[in-house]
Amino acid sequence: MSALLDARSLVKHLGGRRVVDGVDLVCETRQIVGLLGPNGAGKTTTLRMLYGFLRPDEGRIHVDGVELGRDLVRAKRSIGVCTQEDTFDGDFTVEQNLTVAAGYFRPRPTGLARRVAELLERFDLAAYAREKPETLSGGYRRRLMIARALVHRPRLLFLDEPTTGLDPQARMGVWDLVDGLRAEGLGIILTTHYMDEAERLSDALTVLAHGRVVARGTAKGVLGDLVGEHVVVVAATHGEAIAGWLGAHGRREPASVLGALHVPVSGEELADFARAFPSLRYEVRVPTLDDLFLKLSLSP
Amino acid sequence: MSWLIAAVEWQSRAVVSRHLRVYLRNWHTAFLPPALEPVTMLVAFGVGLGGYVASLTWQGRPVEYMTYIAPGLLAYATFMTAVFQSLFAAFIRMRYQRTWEGQLTTQVELRHVVWGEVLWAGLLATMYVVIVAAVLAGFDLAGLLDMRTERLPLLLPIVFMAGCGFAALGLCFTALMPTIDHMNLPVFLLVLPMGLLSSTYFPLEHPVLIALNGINPLYHLAQCFRGILIGGPVLDHLAAVLGLSLLLLGILVPLNLRLLRRRVLGD
Repeated sequence: MSALLDARSLVKHLGGRRVVDGVDLVCETRQIVGLLGPNGAGKTTTLRMLYGFLRPDEGRIHVDGVELGRDLVRAKRSIGVCTQEDTFDGDFTVEQNLTVAAGYFRPRPTGLARRVAELLERFDLAAYAREKPETLSGGYRRRLMIARALVHRPRLLFLDEPTTGLDPQARMGVWDLVDGLRAEGLGIILTTHYMDEAERLSDALTVLAHGRVVARGTAKGVLGDLVGEHVVVVAATHGEAIAGWLGAHGRREPASVLGALHVPVSGEELADFARAFPSLRYEVRVPTLDDLFLKLSLSP
Repeated sequence: MSWLIAAVEWQSRAVVSRHLRVYLRNWHTAFLPPALEPVTMLVAFGVGLGGYVASLTWQGRPVEYMTYIAPGLLAYATFMTAVFQSLFAAFIRMRYQRTWEGQLTTQVELRHVVWGEVLWAGLLATMYVVIVAAVLAGFDLAGLLDMRTERLPLLLPIVFMAGCGFAALGLCFTALMPTIDHMNLPVFLLVLPMGLLSSTYFPLEHPVLIALNGINPLYHLAQCFRGILIGGPVLDHLAAVLGLSLLLLGILVPLNLRLLRRRVLGD
């Protein structure tokens, strides 16, 4: 069976710059693929090509077996998009936003009244059905955006930073909803800047830097490949000594955060570090995706 | 030619239907301006200024000033409604409400959004003109005008076509202007001069204005309406209105698409 989303060798130039450079991305049914990367990595442009907003200069995108470049309208029938910014229709109520959005799809979603009622109930929006979206809190606005993206029963859902700006409780509410959608069989492409979100929700990660895929796989695998097995945290006052040790191992200066150096190391390097600095006070922790972002943003 | 085919595709109709739904929901406020504007204009220009002008010559015969400006009001309403809808309302939907971006996440594409705006502005102008025409028919019934009221329905397809052409012009500025404040530039440099110097409220005699109006669709629209409603040449002006409207659509819709692709999609 073919993948829900199969994108190959995507290339896009914007303003004379090669913003996306040969990106491949695959998403299967019941899978959440986290698309990560620091600002300017090409995430948004990649995402916009995947949901048909932009045309790739090179490469092919298949959605549910349909090539986007050949039959965009048919391919978009299988896609639901929750953009980063709120793009609901402010002229309509919460309920009308769902019915109006359904009018932009053919074949028309069947049993629309039942579908809208079901979404309002599921996303906890029934009490606000007759309110204007701008009266909703941030968390409920995001719920409306996701509900609207689902009104036509898509098979593939794009969530572009769905929890940005939400309080922790609202974020966890959205996580539960996203997790439930995966269980129902949707394929989901998720972009986020919250590393805990990517780690908890994603079945697979694709990491972009400078328009290219620099790592893909599970969160643990990606971290092992790109960051290392451990991170040594040591006061920045020892910077000179640490830089010397790193230099001897052919490594660049580590990230400095709030007066502490965060040095990613392998198991062997950790043993060597302990031998090199027997009297130094330091902490050893497991690497996170934050370390990966710091590393990518420091790399040229 | 996909940009042209999009005019008749279901997605463009879905966009128009969305705008119509918003308009009809606010009908009590939306119907007031087209009903009150001609009354104000007829009172101000007709009764007020008309008191000094009384009558003027049209096609070699004297015509009451109020009768002269009545067809001009219909042309003016067509122009202003279509241009302002595609200038301000479309800009607000594009920039502040992000309605376009929401539509573009569905099966609607940018060419449908653009045609949806153009067709909606044409339809809105037609609905406005129906209301203005009803008010004018009332004035005619009261003996304040002397028009062939029974010919008013003939104007509607012409209004729709011209409205679409004017909307393509307005949308061009929507694509170009960086902020809503910049809309003052097209409004004061083009829309108001064009609206007033097109034989809408007074006949033109200056040779430069007459020459310029040869390619001004609003001038031909006003003269065409005058010919239909109070008698005079129609066919030449009708051909000019239709030709110039098609020209505006044929040149500006593809240009708008190009400009908006960069602005909205960043492509």
